[in-house]
Amino acid sequence: MLKKTSPISVILVSSGSRGNKLLFRYPFQRVSENTSSATCKCSLNGCRQNFHLFCDHCTLFLSLFLSLKRFSDIILATILATKSDMCGKKFELKIDNVRFVGHPTLLQPPHTIQVSKTDPSPKRELPTMILFSVVFALRANADASVINCMHNLSRRIAIALQHEERRCQYLTREAKLMLAVQDEVTTMTETDGTPQSPFRQILPKCKLARDLKEAYDSLCTTGVVRLHINNWLEVSFCLPHKIHRVGGKHIPPEALERSLKAIRPYHALLLLDNEKALLAQLPLDCSPALVRLIKTCSAVKNLQQLAQDADLALLQVFQIAAHLVYWGKAIIIYPLCENNVYMLSPHANICIYSPLAEQFGLQFPGHDLPSMLAKFSLPVSLSEFRNPLDAPVHEAQLIQMVVWMLQRRLLFQLHTYVCLLVPPVEEEPGLREEEPPLVTRVTGRSLSTPSALSFGSPTSSDDMTLTSPSMDNSSAELQTGGDSPLNKRMTETLLASLTEHERQAILRVPAAQNPEDLRLFARLLHYFRGHHHLEEIMYNENMRRSQLKTLFDKFRSVLVITNHEDPIISLFQSPPD
Amino acid sequence: MGSYRRIDCIFFSEFHPTLGPKITYQVPEEYISRELFDTVQVYIITKPELQNKLITVTAMEKKLIGCPVCIEHKKYSRNALLFNLGLVCDARTKTCALEPIVKKLSGYLTTLELESGFISNEESKQKLLPILSTLLEELNVTGACTLPIDDSNTIHLKLIEQRKDPLVVQEYDVPVFTKNKDHFIKSQWDLTTQQILPFVDGYRHIQKISAEADVELNLVRIAVQNLLYYEVVTLVSIFQYSNVYCTTPKVQNLIDKKCLQEECIHYVSKLGQRTNLRDVFQLYCGLTPGTTVRDLCSRYSHQLQRVDERKLIQFGLMKGLIRRLQKYPVKVVRDERSRPPRLYTGCHSYDEICCKTGMSYKELDERLENDPNIVVCWK
Repeated sequence: MLKKTSPISVILVSSGSRGNKLLFRYPFQRVSENTSSATCKCSLNGCRQNFHLFCDHCTLFLSLFLSLKRFSDIILATILATKSDMCGKKFELKIDNVRFVGHPTLLQPPHTIQVSKTDPSPKRELPTMILFSVVFALRANADASVINCMHNLSRRIAIALQHEERRCQYLTREAKLMLAVQDEVTTMTETDGTPQSPFRQILPKCKLARDLKEAYDSLCTTGVVRLHINNWLEVSFCLPHKIHRVGGKHIPPEALERSLKAIRPYHALLLLDNEKALLAQLPLDCSPALVRLIKTCSAVKNLQQLAQDADLALLQVFQIAAHLVYWGKAIIIYPLCENNVYMLSPHANICIYSPLAEQFGLQFPGHDLPSMLAKFSLPVSLSEFRNPLDAPVHEAQLIQMVVWMLQRRLLFQLHTYVCLLVPPVEEEPGLREEEPPLVTRVTGRSLSTPSALSFGSPTSSDDMTLTSPSMDNSSAELQTGGDSPLNKRMTETLLASLTEHERQAILRVPAAQNPEDLRLFARLLHYFRGHHHLEEIMYNENMRRSQLKTLFDKFRSVLVITNHEDPIISLFQSPPD
Repeated sequence: MGSYRRIDCIFFSEFHPTLGPKITYQVPEEYISRELFDTVQVYIITKPELQNKLITVTAMEKKLIGCPVCIEHKKYSRNALLFNLGLVCDARTKTCALEPIVKKLSGYLTTLELESGFISNEESKQKLLPILSTLLEELNVTGACTLPIDDSNTIHLKLIEQRKDPLVVQEYDVPVFTKNKDHFIKSQWDLTTQQILPFVDGYRHIQKISAEADVELNLVRIAVQNLLYYEVVTLVSIFQYSNVYCTTPKVQNLIDKKCLQEECIHYVSKLGQRTNLRDVFQLYCGLTPGTTVRDLCSRYSHQLQRVDERKLIQFGLMKGLIRRLQKYPVKVVRDERSRPPRLYTGCHSYDEICCKTGMSYKELDERLENDPNIVVCWK
C-alpha cells in the first residue's frame, strides 16, 4: 500500500579521494524513458498501470518522485555524503517535502593501500573510499516510527557492507563498477546525444545495486526485506507498519510491543499462514525451537500447553511468539473452545466486492462471506454456531471458517468482566466514601508472573479440573474445614480492604450467610475491578466457568457485569485510537 | 507554548566574500560551535540548486532549520549575495510549526534587501542583531511576534500549532460540542458557523442542520469539519430509540477515573436530580448487542428515573465508553440479469441509506425483511 510508509527512493553515496559520489539510486531518474514499459510503483491490488495513466495512489507517488527528481545526482552526492564527524549516527535531512534518512559509515582504508611518503617514485594514487551511506528518501511527514525503522535498515545494511569491505573490499569493488558504468554512459551520451540512465546499465552488472533495488521494492510492497550482501551476509528487516495493518491504519510498533508484554500463558498463538508455507519462509539456519513451535502450535492450544508439547520453557515460547507476531506471521488469541463468544469486528470489511469475500468463496465453495459474517452480528458462542445435528465434517469446516475469519481479523472475542459496585448510601446521595486504591487490595501473589503458575492444561472443552494447588493462598487452605476461625479471619482480612459501606452491602446479600460463598467472594475480590475477565479468573484460580457464574449470580446485587473485547489483545483486531 | 517547541538560538549566516560561509549574528552568542557550523554549513550556505528550500538538518543533538537565499546582482562582490536566517532547536523537537516562520523570515529579508539593500548595507545590517533577540524571546514566550523594521516594513509572525487532519464529515453524523457552547465568543467565527450554531445541539445530524439553518449541505460539512479540527466538537451518531449500542473496554474508565465519574454524573443526570455511579454503570453495561435503547428503558426504568437516556448515550459515545452498532444490508444472492447492488453492498449503513434515500428506518426494514436475498450485518 503506497502510503506514508513507503520510501520514495533509495540512494547510495560515498565520499573519498575522488570526492563525493552518488553511486546508485533507485528508482531511476529518467521517467520519460520507455513509459510504456514503466509500470506503476503502486502495489495496491497488483496495480500494473502505466506511469502516465495514474491511479490516485500513483499520482501521489509521482508528485513525490518528481520533487526528488529535481535533485540532480551531484547535489544529492553533496548533501548526502556527509563529513566524517556525522558518521556512526543517524543522519536526517529534510528539504521541503522530502526527508532523507541514513546511517553514514566510516570505512577504514585497508593497510595494503598505504603508500609510503618517502618513496620518490611516482605511484598511481589508488582511489580510496572514506565513508559511505545508504540513504532512504521518504515523505517529509512520515511517522517518526517509520523514519526510525528506515534508519535501522540503513544501519543494518551499512554494518554488513562495512564487514564485507574489511573482509574482501566488496564495497570498493562494487563502487568502482558503478562509477565505471556511469563514466561510460556519460561518454556515450556526449557522443550519441541520447539521454540514458546509467543506473539501468548498472543493475545487471552490480549485485549491490540489485540488492538495493530489492530492498526498495520489498519496502514498497510486503514490508519484509531479506538481502544477501555479497551472497554471504544476510540482512533481514521488517517494517511493522506495512505488516500490521488493520482497517487501513497501521499498528505502531510501540503499541505492539506493549501488547506483547501483556500476553498470558492462557493465550494462544494463531498462525496467519499455513504451517508449510511458514516453514518454507524460514532461513536454513533458523533455530530448531522455532521450527518445533510452529509445528506444534494450534488454535486450541494455549501457550503453556504449547510449551509442554514443544518441550520448551514458557519464557522461550513467549519470546518466539512475540517474534512471530512482530513479523506478522501470527496473532495472539484466546484458545478456541466451545464457550468462546465471537462477534463481528467493527473494522471488518463486509463489502461483497472485497478481495476477502472472493478468497472466502474460493476456500469454502458454496458459502459466501457476508452470510457467514451476518451470523456473528449478535455475539454467538462457538457451540451455538456449530449445529450438533450436522455431520462432523461440516462441523470441522465451520471451525475452519472461524479460524479463517480470526486470521483476517474479521471477528473478535467477547469476554465477561465483573465490577464491584454497591448500591449507594440512600440517606446522603451525594456523599461517597473514598475507596482505597486497588493496590492495597491485592493480597499476596502477583498476577503476572508466568513461571509461578503450573496448573494442569485446560482441555479444549474449557473444563479446568483442579490438579495441583500450588499457590500459597490458593483455595486449598481455605477449603479445609467449614467455619474454622482461621477461615473466618482470612475472610475478614480480605474484606477489610473495602469501605465499611461496601462491607455492609456485601454482608447484606443473602448468599453471604453461607461462609463458603462469602469466602470465595472475598478471595476473588481483587478481580472485581473490571480488568480481569472470566477466563483469566478461571485460569488463575483453577475454577470452572459454572462455579464463577453461580457466584456472580448470587452476588448480583453488588456486582455489575459487562461483555467486551480484551483490550490487551484487541490491538490485533483493531487499530488503537 | 510547550517547551517542546522551544527555539534555542536564531542565527544569521552569510557568504562573506573573503572569509566564506560564516555566522554573522547569533542569539544567544556563541551558541553554535565552530565544529557544528563546519559540519552543517553545506546545508546553510548552499549550492544554487537548494536555494529557497526549507532545509532541516540534524547534527550533534541539534536541529537547524533554515531557508538559503541567493540574490544575484552585479553590484555584489562575486555577483551574488548569499544568506540564511535560521533557527536552532534540540534534536528531539518537533519543528513543523517553525517551518512557516523560517520561510516567512527569509521572504521578508529578501524583500528588504531588494527594496533598500537592508543586508548589503553594513549599517542597516547591524539592526539585525536586536531583531534576532526580540524574535527569539517573543516567539518562545508568546508564540507570536510583531516587529517594525523601518518606516515601511513590519514583520508579523505567529506559531500555528499543527493538528491532525479531521475526519470527513458525513451527512448522517451528529456534531456535539465538547466544551460548553457559551464559552466561545461567537462573533469571532465565520458567518456560516454562526448561522448553524443554534442547530448544533448534539442531536441534529448534518443534513437536518443544513435544512433547518438553511445553509447548503457542503458548507455545513466544511464548517463542522473546521470545528472538528480545533477539537471544539466531536461527532456521534443519530439517536433513535431503535438504536443498538454495546460497551467498549473503555467503559472501565468510568470505574477507574474519579473525574470522569463526576463529569458523567453531572452530564447525564436529569435536571435538578443527581444519579449515582452504580446506576449509570449498570445502564451502560445494559447496552448490549440486540438490545435497543427502548429495551434498556423498559428494563432499567428504575435507574432511568434520574437519568436522561439521550444524554447518557451522548456522553458514552463522546468518551468512547460505548459504540453504536450499525446495520449493513448486503445483497448476497442475485441472478445474472439484475443490476449489481449499489447501496446494499455491505459498505453503507442504514443511517447512510436512509439519509441518502429519504426512507425511514422502518420503511427500509420492511423493504429488506421480506427480501430473501439480503442479509444484514451488524458491526
